[in-house]
Amino acid sequence: MSESAFTRLHAKIEKALGEKSKRDALYTAMKRGRDNRRKAVDLLPGGEGFRKEVRQTKLRCLAKQDELVDRFAEKVRQRGASVFLAKDAKAAIDYILKIGRERDAKIVTKSKSLTSEEIEVNQPLEKAGMEVIETDLGELIIQQVHEKPFHLVFPAVHKTVADVAEIFRKATGEDIPDDADAVMKAVRRFVRPYFLNADIGMTGANVGIAELGVIVIETNEGNARLVSSIPEVHVCIMGREKIVETVEDALQMMLAHPISAVGQHLTTYETLMGGRSPLGQGEGNSRRESHIIILDNGRSQMLKDPLMQDALNCIRCAACMNICPTYGVVGGHAFGYIYPGPIGIPWTASVHGLEKAGEFAHLCVSCGLCKEICPAEIDIPMMISAVKDRYSKLEKHPLVNRALMAAETMAKMGSATAPVSNWAMKNQFFRAQMEKYVGIDSRRELPPFRRRTLAQRFDKRGASQVSHPVRRVAFFADIYANYNAPELGMAAVERLESRGCKVLMPPQQGCGYPYIGYGDLQRAKKVAEENVSSLAYYTEQGYDIVSTEPTAVYCLKVSYPKLLNGSRAAVDVANRTYEYFEYLERLEAETPRDNRLHLAGNHFGFHIACHQRALGAGAHTIAYLKRRGAEIEVIESGTCCGMAGTFGLKKGMLGYELSQAVGEPLFQAFKDSGMQAIITESSVCKIQLQEGTGLKVWHPLELL
Amino acid sequence: MNANIVRQFQEKHESLAGIVHQVSGTNEAVEKVVAILQDKTVEKIAMAILPEEFGRNLEQQCAQNGMEMFKPPFDNAVLPNAFESIQVGISWAAFAIAETGAIVEFSTDDALRLVSALPLVHISVMRAADMIGTLKEAATPIRNFYNENSLNATVSFISGPSRTADIEMRLILGVHGPAETHVIIIN
Repeated sequence: MSESAFTRLHAKIEKALGEKSKRDALYTAMKRGRDNRRKAVDLLPGGEGFRKEVRQTKLRCLAKQDELVDRFAEKVRQRGASVFLAKDAKAAIDYILKIGRERDAKIVTKSKSLTSEEIEVNQPLEKAGMEVIETDLGELIIQQVHEKPFHLVFPAVHKTVADVAEIFRKATGEDIPDDADAVMKAVRRFVRPYFLNADIGMTGANVGIAELGVIVIETNEGNARLVSSIPEVHVCIMGREKIVETVEDALQMMLAHPISAVGQHLTTYETLMGGRSPLGQGEGNSRRESHIIILDNGRSQMLKDPLMQDALNCIRCAACMNICPTYGVVGGHAFGYIYPGPIGIPWTASVHGLEKAGEFAHLCVSCGLCKEICPAEIDIPMMISAVKDRYSKLEKHPLVNRALMAAETMAKMGSATAPVSNWAMKNQFFRAQMEKYVGIDSRRELPPFRRRTLAQRFDKRGASQVSHPVRRVAFFADIYANYNAPELGMAAVERLESRGCKVLMPPQQGCGYPYIGYGDLQRAKKVAEENVSSLAYYTEQGYDIVSTEPTAVYCLKVSYPKLLNGSRAAVDVANRTYEYFEYLERLEAETPRDNRLHLAGNHFGFHIACHQRALGAGAHTIAYLKRRGAEIEVIESGTCCGMAGTFGLKKGMLGYELSQAVGEPLFQAFKDSGMQAIITESSVCKIQLQEGTGLKVWHPLELL
Repeated sequence: MNANIVRQFQEKHESLAGIVHQVSGTNEAVEKVVAILQDKTVEKIAMAILPEEFGRNLEQQCAQNGMEMFKPPFDNAVLPNAFESIQVGISWAAFAIAETGAIVEFSTDDALRLVSALPLVHISVMRAADMIGTLKEAATPIRNFYNENSLNATVSFISGPSRTADIEMRLILGVHGPAETHVIIIN
């Protein structure tokens, strides 16, 4: 078999890590995108609630997609525009080439259309003798230097003012100073004649309104207005999934898109176009036409694929890119083919092929942040896992991934052979061998294994006698609390018991999230089935499930129901699963206790584990500690610490190196914060933060 | 009430670098337009379709000030180049949305769109009574417009001057559309 996609990916990461200025530019762009989004969403009357509404609308339209396409096409035709249903890229391009020939077109102006990039339409048009000009500034810049977009919304974010000035000095022959305003004026002069003399104006469409037969085009620059009005021929390329039912649906999308992308309520210009309007009066109008090309190119296949279907709800806002930790370091040239970033993985797999997606799918570290920001609440992480899973049939999982997926087996062995195993873990030679043959970075200080696991201690101790228990709890330990920190696990259990809970530790295995993260869905499902089966036995008897490990809680509440297709048992288990401090808060609300301020005088920085963002974001833990007098401040970079479960343990580019680059801003933030120590509930983030900041890292239970 | 949403619109629109003027009555509106034009020593302006009284009044004043007016019906044969010498475009907004700070124009002729899309300065005029509060409420007038026009029809939302942040994320105005916009609200 040819060279591995993983080898190529390592090289791309290495190259990206070496380009510090690009990284800095990208980091700034992403942070601004996130911050502006936050500001704008906080001003909406319903806040984040708009995402739920968007999802409802999208699901409704998805369910009747074929019908909407037909209705839309009919209405468009009634308004006097042409409709072409293009089954693939070739069909769309051939259709456009035909128009170009018939109209003897020389100049084509384009407003930004990712769908047109998906089908790579520019080259065939140029080969046929047409001059194609991108009029969106970001797209124009990269067109001039023949590059692919670095970011979906800001394709030229990696270029400095000086870079851009030079590009347009070359393009215009003008002596343009390195000043953004001057460059802008030069660009306006440069593009103007193209706008005025274009034969074909090509746009995309952000939305299609089936009820009216109207397309919606959003821009901030005003270029789409000129592209869609002046030329005699208007061509629109749009994906069939963009079509919604009503004007109300469209207005919802028109808000959700820019607010998620850049924190604007609406883009400066929103153009709703139906049919083809004349340009003034006169005979020249007889030659004016509009063609709406509705593209399939794999979308109807996606519709039939229960795992990929969700990707059709994407409104191309790139919010997922703005929060993705690894995308934020390497950018769109490494993390993408044409569609970059998290949502780019399922889209690339569906419209450009699984092999192309496999080239960058493993840049996803399964932190889950994209799902929490997506305006359509798309479960991007699970789709990415599915792509990794499918890709593994083409190229086997690398050994290190397989070893880490089997983390529980290793932990069992580690505990069974402790303390020898711990000696080995600290032994340079042993670690060097482990690094060479398994792929775990020898610099990583791994938590020691304990001979007597939590399960064994529990067995020995038995369930403690709690008379009149207020609650009954099935404790879910996951790997760390069972094999590495059983005292912590026991302390957690005892605290619950002291609040009147009867606590059991049912038969269980580690949550198995690495199977999801690295993409072995068959094994993930098996673990899910077994755990759910075991836990459901207890939930049916009224037990709540509590865990001290955020990823385990996320797995039980979010991942298992998805893996098991919403089975009743999985949903029951999910509904009865709680984060540890969330549960303690509930208990204390019912029976208030112990509010001695024994943590007074302490300043801690709190780190929210990524998987907690979908749960309580650590709010309960922080409140609990504050009530005991501690001063707690959340310190965050807005994205992952870089550990991403076991990802940061791996040697090399697709592991430790990338992990460090991701964590850098957060490490600095903690160091700058002046906090005496860091609190986090995640056992793996703890390792990353200890090493990255040099500060002490505590699990909150260790303070109590 | 209406005064509240007009104020809300002004705040939001100004935060987007648009300029808002509130006037009482058509005559004051005409005066305001002329004042803006005089301030810029404008020689050539373009007008979209304007309400009769306002339009007549404005034409009179502009003629008196020696300004050349390019107005509908536009001759396709001279478009779009005739717009190149136009410094200011003046159009009428069907309504505006306070919540988002957008004015909305209806047209069935793309030449009218050029009035607010090509020149460096755009002035739009509207009645305060046509202000609506929220984006959701825009569905009704839009639907009505498309039901009344069964063939070609375009709705344009405009929220301030044209902008980009594509170079180093710096905000720059006046990229391809107007660099300066005024909204005159007739109370």
